[in-house]
Amino acid sequence: MDEVLHISNLAKAFGATQALQGVSFEIAPGEARALLGENGAGKSTCVKILNGLVRPDSGTIRLSGRDYRPAGLSDAQKAGVSTAFQELSLLPDLSIAINLAMPDLPTNGLNLVRFDEVRRRAAATLASYQIFDIDPASLVSSLTLSDKQRLEIIRALSRKPTLLVLDEPTAALTDVAWLYDQIRALKAEGRAVLFITHRLKEARDLCECATVLRNGEVAGTVDLAGTSDSELFRLMIGRSMGTAFPDRPDKTAPAARDKPEELVLSVEGLKSGAFGPASFSLRRGEIVGVAALEGQGQRILFNALAGIARITAGQVRIGGKPVKLRSPAVAKQLGISFVPEERKEEGLFFGLLTRANVSISNIGRVGRFGLVGRKTEIKQISGVSEAVDLASRYHDLPVDALSGGNQQKALIARTLFANARCLLMFDPTRGVDVGTKQAIYSVIQRAASDGMSILLYSTELRELTALSDRCIVIYGNRIVDECPAESLKEEELLERMHDAHAGRASKELEGGREQRVNSL
Amino acid sequence: MVGSSALTLYSRSPSSVSITLYIVMFVVYALAQGHFVTTPYGLSVLLNNSISLAVGAASLTFVVITGGFDLSLAGTVALTNTIISVAGFNGVGGAIEALLVVCVVGAIVGAVNGILVAYGRLQSIAVTLGTMIMTSGIALFMLNAPGGSVPDSIAYGLTGLLGPVPVAVIILVVFTAAAAVLLNYTRFGIGLFAIGQDRAAARASGVNVEWTEFRAYLTAGIVAGLSGYLVSAETGTGDPRFDASFLLLAFAAVAIGGTSFRGGRGTVVGSVVGAGLLELIQKTLFAVGVASFFTGMFEGALMILAVLVGSLGSLMAARRSAVS
Repeated sequence: MDEVLHISNLAKAFGATQALQGVSFEIAPGEARALLGENGAGKSTCVKILNGLVRPDSGTIRLSGRDYRPAGLSDAQKAGVSTAFQELSLLPDLSIAINLAMPDLPTNGLNLVRFDEVRRRAAATLASYQIFDIDPASLVSSLTLSDKQRLEIIRALSRKPTLLVLDEPTAALTDVAWLYDQIRALKAEGRAVLFITHRLKEARDLCECATVLRNGEVAGTVDLAGTSDSELFRLMIGRSMGTAFPDRPDKTAPAARDKPEELVLSVEGLKSGAFGPASFSLRRGEIVGVAALEGQGQRILFNALAGIARITAGQVRIGGKPVKLRSPAVAKQLGISFVPEERKEEGLFFGLLTRANVSISNIGRVGRFGLVGRKTEIKQISGVSEAVDLASRYHDLPVDALSGGNQQKALIARTLFANARCLLMFDPTRGVDVGTKQAIYSVIQRAASDGMSILLYSTELRELTALSDRCIVIYGNRIVDECPAESLKEEELLERMHDAHAGRASKELEGGREQRVNSL
Repeated sequence: MVGSSALTLYSRSPSSVSITLYIVMFVVYALAQGHFVTTPYGLSVLLNNSISLAVGAASLTFVVITGGFDLSLAGTVALTNTIISVAGFNGVGGAIEALLVVCVVGAIVGAVNGILVAYGRLQSIAVTLGTMIMTSGIALFMLNAPGGSVPDSIAYGLTGLLGPVPVAVIILVVFTAAAAVLLNYTRFGIGLFAIGQDRAAARASGVNVEWTEFRAYLTAGIVAGLSGYLVSAETGTGDPRFDASFLLLAFAAVAIGGTSFRGGRGTVVGSVVGAGLLELIQKTLFAVGVASFFTGMFEGALMILAVLVGSLGSLMAARRSAVS
């Protein structure tokens, strides 16, 4: 009998980033296969390709023996691939019944939708998946996050797919046993499941084999029963093997920094949205890494400290003085600068010159009578440009003409120009090429040795271990661990990130899915 | 809580604000004007002046629910009105011919908008602004100053009485019912809401987003043509200049009717009642002797009030779901 899914030599690049390369694996009928890997290992690219949202550059996919090249989501669904998305694809202001019946709503002879039939079918569908406590006539927006997730899964199941793709289905699900039952029933019917998860226990409960992705390549397909957790972690690690890290001035003895014990930022019992309470501190010239799996609340923490998300409880001190981070402007005044990962969307002003992009953070400094003069501007920013190694020939170019690395430098120069003391960097190397990464690393280290305190989140563990003085681990909207510099090994960190949820497998997370991917 | 449940009601049924206000205003108007307003002739007078605005607002609703804007309404109205006034249609047959012609003209404008917005992925405001200017340019080419004449069969046929019932009432009821059914009881209509709520999720739910969006503009174009037909009946003459105040009032009617300009929520009934309400306010203020330049103030305040009530409802809903 044919495999349900046969992927061979799949490759996909986004610009300079090779998201997938030579990926091959098969799933047999009645098999649930776990797909494991670090953030950015290529799992979501796989999901998108299977759904027709992204076309692979090369490679072939066969579904039940037939060539499979979906042109889009509905194409994929017709071919028998249905997905429960992590970001949910439900329509909030339509009823549950309509959501389940889309797109082929039953109609009468006049082509009018038969809502009685829509509701009847929905009730029957919900009942067949043992859901009795949801009224199909109510709006999706009235459901709890956990119920929305169940509905997303039920909708995928109700299409009777030959291949069901579950993208982190348990992130918000309170009743994991229910999902287990559904998957087992599916396997018994000879259908196949691709189970994307970061929870090894669930992978072991449901799947015999796991395919591990690393740097967009298959690091191995292993029999889960015969593979220990640490062996799996070893397979997952090593995303940025090709990158060399510049030598850091000795981490443990920061001689270059005066008063190393000075607390620049200290946070006690901070709560914002679903995140918290959390406490930690940041010393002068220190780089503190934030290690977290996707969507564990790290974004809320950064937004809260940047004055974007409202802090609902707790105390933030800057230089020992209690402060209220009411808005981004206030945070900036207090010396906190935020470098978001979407440089294009949140950071730089495309269409403005590089020098304007740098000086805008403190525009009052560069002009007289409200006018900005070119000479004054360049003179004023030359210091910070040097500090980040941004060549002066770029000053008069539009910032969109710069390479990614130089854009990042300009962004950091801006924060320096604003007299920032504390830098919040959220995944600064996302989507940049290797050379640019190098440049960014040295900028970060240089800023730190000049006395800047840096809170650094990165999806690449290797960056955290190589750059940070210590790391805090966030899971489920809380700081669950702190690793001192000595124990900063990737394996260690990854294990702590995963182990974190061992004791709290099911009690989750309203704010865990801040990221709404709009690429569908 | 009474307050919150009342708001919930309003947020669930966006047109209820405008319907409630319409009833209140109608009572005020009737008290000020005497029983005349409740006679068929009185009703006919009241409706004749607002029916083209109501149909225009309904045309916008289809596009606004997808999260887009359609400014070409004003141009389509000017063009179809001009065509009717210069083409020399005659008699009942001419009235029917004219109806077909305005639908075709509206469909062409709507199709151009739809292709450029849905398939070309261009901004709807820019595209429809362009087609608005183009169509009124064509109208000016056909008739370089207000004039021409609308056939009697249209002008009197649509503004008179059919037995005891004003023709305007019949048109309005039949049209509103048909448009509401199209929006709420067809796959197409539900697809419009889906697109307006979340484009990506609509696609994931199997909606053919481009085709549905294209048809939204097509439908809006045809209905805009109908609106031009009704304008011709009301004014009895041709005017090639596009009427910006007509366009803005139509958008105001949509907002008062509870349709969200962010897309995803709204009703045709609300837009139609909203248009009626704008007309009713003018008449009521006139009836009670308020100077006419206050009308705009009242209408604007009303629109903001309607938007406020609508957003309070959804705000409460969000608060509740955040708590639970």
